[in-house]
Amino acid sequence: MTWINFESYYLAIVFCWILSLLFLGLSYKKKKLFKYCLLFIIIGTATLIWFDVALWIELHRPPLRTLGETRLWYATFLPIIGLLVYIRWKYKWFLAYCLAMGILFLTINYLNPETYSKTLMPALQSPWFIPHVLVYLFAYALLAASSFVAIKSLYSFYKNTFSENDLKLADNLVYIGFAFLTLGLLFGALWAKEAWGNYWTWDPKEIWAFLTWMMYLLYIHYRYFHTTNSKEALLILTFAFIILLICWFGVNYLPVANTSVHTYTQS
Amino acid sequence: MSNHKFQHNLWDFPWGYVESFLIYSGLLITGFMMEIFFPLKTNTGIIFPYNLFILAGLFLLIIILQLFLKKQAFVKWLGSVHAAIISIVFITFMVMIMGIIPQIKTDSEFIQLLGLNSITSHWAFLLILFVFLISLGLITFKRILNFKLNNIAFILNHLGLFIALSAGILGAGDTQRLNIELEEGNPNWKAYNNKTKEYVELDFAIYLKDFIVEEFHPKLAFVENSTGKIIHNDGKNLYLINQDEHYIFNEFEIDITKYLASSGRIGDAYHFVNDIGAPPAAQLSIKNVKSSKTINGWISSGSFLYQYEALKIDENLSVVMTIPEVKKFTSEVSILQKNGERIETTIEVNKPFDFDGWKIYQLSYNEKMGKWSNTSVLELVKDPWLPYVYFGIFMMIAGAINMFWVGNKFKKENKYDVD
Ligand code: HEM
Repeated sequence: MTWINFESYYLAIVFCWILSLLFLGLSYKKKKLFKYCLLFIIIGTATLIWFDVALWIELHRPPLRTLGETRLWYATFLPIIGLLVYIRWKYKWFLAYCLAMGILFLTINYLNPETYSKTLMPALQSPWFIPHVLVYLFAYALLAASSFVAIKSLYSFYKNTFSENDLKLADNLVYIGFAFLTLGLLFGALWAKEAWGNYWTWDPKEIWAFLTWMMYLLYIHYRYFHTTNSKEALLILTFAFIILLICWFGVNYLPVANTSVHTYTQS
Repeated sequence: MSNHKFQHNLWDFPWGYVESFLIYSGLLITGFMMEIFFPLKTNTGIIFPYNLFILAGLFLLIIILQLFLKKQAFVKWLGSVHAAIISIVFITFMVMIMGIIPQIKTDSEFIQLLGLNSITSHWAFLLILFVFLISLGLITFKRILNFKLNNIAFILNHLGLFIALSAGILGAGDTQRLNIELEEGNPNWKAYNNKTKEYVELDFAIYLKDFIVEEFHPKLAFVENSTGKIIHNDGKNLYLINQDEHYIFNEFEIDITKYLASSGRIGDAYHFVNDIGAPPAAQLSIKNVKSSKTINGWISSGSFLYQYEALKIDENLSVVMTIPEVKKFTSEVSILQKNGERIETTIEVNKPFDFDGWKIYQLSYNEKMGKWSNTSVLELVKDPWLPYVYFGIFMMIAGAINMFWVGNKFKKENKYDVD
């Protein structure tokens, strides 16, 4: 087994995060308790980073290849982003969302124990590999978060409790997420040139990544010109996220899947 | 959407979303008509110097439109938000077709007729892209004309995209991709062009000194006797075979007592052999914890010369060794020039070699022979427009970093919504 005793790590991390969720909930009544929430997030996340590093060393390659490994990084980055956003915008509910998603991703990995193979095909052995995938994961996490804000805002529209501030958070998340998405796309192009001699081949994964990029581009421009049409903007944002989801794991199920260089299923 | 549309008639100035939608729909329909009646059969792109003329024309057009015709409704529209947003929608639409319908030969007459399986050379896509590029160029040019320091981010994003796109699209026809097949010990100077299906003589020859394949260890998998299917984690994440490794799978405890990277069967055991085609083999001891029965035996992945060997452990299951996966393949070559000079280098995946305007890539080898292959296929790529594309890409990277740093600073007032 190379998936070095994930179980004990899993239990420790999830225990910490659940505790911090608990303190987060209590802190609505008793403000002082919030520092314990922060403390347990940090302990839990530090443990997870520790595990990532240990796994990386164990595998002799960055654990960025399979869906399970991807989920691991997602779970790592969600609480970090949650914390950053908290520091800047003081949104507790957003922190709770990040933690809950983090717990969800770790639990999926826990329920599907995979022993992670050590082999990596030659084209993936490149210095571009880590920045390309990490930057994408960061973008996806931020954009996923922005969609959550969008859905919550649509709901508050319906409840008539909508506040412009919610959308400001969404805008900021989209801007930062879009910056990462652009970097992911461009790093991918530069890497493809080094590996295959082509920076853009309209490979299905590239197509859907491009579509995702265009949808967020649409959102940014629409928002910029129609600052008051919040509802339409929110609908665009929700739709953009659907495209992102197709790009992330839907591509394998589309009729175009078998023409992709991005599906690394074992032969 | 804003409500000014309801107060003004179609094609009254300023043109809004409806007009933009109609214009782009017009391009779309025209494009489809052209595709049906005179499709672009080839995908070779526009070659030098015509692509340069088109690029110069594009620049000139943008400059003329902005400097002399900027009062025209059409020009105002090209540089407007509405045009920008609708163009993004239409390009997304065309690319989405590409993302759903496989871009390969098809039996469907409908797809064939409408050209839905060759979007990148589809008239509708090209027309929309062309107007989009004019639009983007115009928007950027306007900002450059009244340059302010805090416009830099805008210029990096938009000009970067404009340069990368126009150089990438127009330059595509000038890229040359040649395959050259090398055999150990023989120089070759004839390369094959996949696009034109012709052989090309190069100014230099490439001599393959040695071709080396490094492999990962093979993996171990459980298969069902009746179907021959791998039942182990759906064939994913199998166990890597290493000497003295210990694995547990369901009720089985597996010990790998011996691993030979290169072996041959002699009598009832495998021994180290260093011949061509000698496959890896492993000796296993498998214990069924439930029945306490232990089975010992050998497995081997086989090779292009030798049979594989599986180990049957009960009525239902056998253990097999997978063909080792490739870790790295490297060509050690000399490049022989006409003036007698010789350049020694190694080329591997992700490590291309620059020579005389060409980038030389490791492409493939004789995969049937695996690590005993003594042929290697290299790819030579010449992409004269690449520096411009990279220039655009690096501008966009700078723009993205700026975007990340600054985030979104929303302006409160909005001059566009109040008509
Ligand atoms: C790399 C991709 C792009 C990024 C990151 C981007 C970002 C932005 C941002 C942040 C603004 C707000 C204005 C400002 O920053 O000063 C803006 C404005 C604008 N963008 Fe883009 N954009 C991109 C591509 C495009 C494309 C493809 C079009 C369509 C042709 C377009 C058309 C416009 C227009 C018309 C404006 C308003 C210009 C003005 O107010 O003068 N952009 N863009």
